[in-house]
Amino acid sequence: MSDEQKWVRIEREFDAPIDMVWKMWTDPEMFRKWYGPNGMSVPTAEMDVTIGGTRKVSMLMQGADPARSMWFTGVYKEVNAPHRLVYTESMCDADGNIISPQAMGMPDSFPDITEVIVELRDMGGRTQMTMVHVGVPEGSPGAGGWTQAFDKLADLAASVAQAED
Amino acid sequence: MFNTDPMTSDESLDAAFSALAHPARRAILQRLAQGTATVNTLAEPFEMSLPAVSKHIRVLEKAGLIKREKDAQFRRCTLDVGPIAAIADWTETYRPIWDTRFDTMSKLLTELKDQSS
Repeated sequence: MSDEQKWVRIEREFDAPIDMVWKMWTDPEMFRKWYGPNGMSVPTAEMDVTIGGTRKVSMLMQGADPARSMWFTGVYKEVNAPHRLVYTESMCDADGNIISPQAMGMPDSFPDITEVIVELRDMGGRTQMTMVHVGVPEGSPGAGGWTQAFDKLADLAASVAQAED
Repeated sequence: MFNTDPMTSDESLDAAFSALAHPARRAILQRLAQGTATVNTLAEPFEMSLPAVSKHIRVLEKAGLIKREKDAQFRRCTLDVGPIAAIADWTETYRPIWDTRFDTMSKLLTELKDQSS
């Protein structure tokens, strides 16, 4: 893998006031209603939205047999209502103990810790949101070990693609 | 380079993640990266029974990571790199998830706004 930072950056504009959008991220009841991707519900959302406060979220895969749930935990690093929210995210067990994504069946490319940065801008009744989801850089605590395995997987994909061309 | 379906459904993502979680299945994929092989060939390096290896192969097949010939005698396996390529970059896994979430958030905000007005 190259040194380039990996991230997802999404910009959206909502036809809703900034306080309402802020609540989407910080009110557990609201958060639960939108955070589940297709086929997933969010049974647990515990949030201590203060700097250094922890968060714990579970997602339950609907229709899977046996039912499969995934837990995520993290810490709020910046809380500047209603403009900026930064928190970390790691996979964990139901008790909040951090576990590696690989132990949860995720591919080796998944970083142990990611960070979600939300920025909101008041557009006069409407709200512009920028969300950045970034892998915590290699070398920082807890980030070790996954790039090597990722390289193998990437090489594997590349070599087969080459053979097919 | 890869024209395969970009793994947008959660079921296919889940299947691929689960399939890749096992070291024996990753080893099978590594071997198939060198070329098509029969189940017997794939079983050789492993200290496990043929049915056990076959079971891993079925998991990989179900996850769409390999394809198997219909020929009952040889059932040769070929690697399908599409799903691996799609999930090798975690950001490409997360992007569609966030997009779906924000679609839901947008609907929710509209509902709330309608209620409060």
